[in-house]
Amino acid sequence: MDKYKKEPTYQNKEQEEQTEPDQNNASSLVEKIQQLGQTNVVQAPDTNVHVLSIVGQVEGHIQLPPQNKTTKYEHILPQLIAIEQNPKIEGLVVLLNTVGGDVEAGLALSEMIASMSKPTVSIVLGGGHSIGVPIAVSTNYSFIVPTATMTIHPIRLTGMVIGVPQTFEYLEKMQERVIQFVVGHSNIKEELFKELMFAKGNLTRDIGTNVVGTDAVNYGLIDGVGGVKDAMVKVNELINLAKENETGAIQ
Amino acid sequence: MILYTPLAKEDIFPSDLSIYAKRQCINFKNKTLYVEKRNDGTYQLLQLLSTDPNDFLNDQFQPGTIIE
Repeated sequence: MDKYKKEPTYQNKEQEEQTEPDQNNASSLVEKIQQLGQTNVVQAPDTNVHVLSIVGQVEGHIQLPPQNKTTKYEHILPQLIAIEQNPKIEGLVVLLNTVGGDVEAGLALSEMIASMSKPTVSIVLGGGHSIGVPIAVSTNYSFIVPTATMTIHPIRLTGMVIGVPQTFEYLEKMQERVIQFVVGHSNIKEELFKELMFAKGNLTRDIGTNVVGTDAVNYGLIDGVGGVKDAMVKVNELINLAKENETGAIQ
Repeated sequence: MILYTPLAKEDIFPSDLSIYAKRQCINFKNKTLYVEKRNDGTYQLLQLLSTDPNDFLNDQFQPGTIIE
């Protein structure tokens, strides 16, 4: 990288790339081995299914310390619009491995995904806790891998609170919104979801339930147990269905 | 000093803000990249913000890649 400093003009840079391709290749090769542990990555043709990964914490109004792995909602929202608008993209797969996070950011993501016209499928991998639950159920069809878990618990607030009764009411309403969204977008009954949310004895010294893969499906929260293959089959099935409906409407 | 609190460590001891200053989102070859500025003025790619799975197969956007 030092060589770029010595030759700052653009032409020189290009020239250098032409004259010393071996050196550049060698350094990029070393870089690649350092970062990925391998030298080449597979190439593939254009895809009609895009992938959105929501990992770590869902970051909303407050920027989290740098050591946290976060998904920033301001990055995701425009991407969802781009997917909706791009005619080449026919479907979306949402990969979830989140510990939860900002409720309003999570609800915003969920509503955006739920209101998309293109077929969407989600896979819960590892964990889809707290606000990950509404995001998981917001897609047309949701999958969970057998080892993944989802923690359902009441909404929490950390930090300073000004006006305790008002904040309490506000939080309760927010919780109601989350419950309504999950009930509205999955097959779980409201009573059952609330029961899981306020259950005692499942989590150590806390209320709530940690639902594992197959149980999430049995409760009706998630549509099916499955991984990448199942999700790709489902999204293609939904794409074909959407295409059929479209041609049917034209005729 | 002994602290016994449910607060996160960062709420009591604010983390070093200089690390925030180093990190930024840039547009490079029509892709949005989350990068960290290195001491020599170059940028190291931390995260590629894209929904196209093929972008993640692109050699230029592998994590850790040094740009410019």
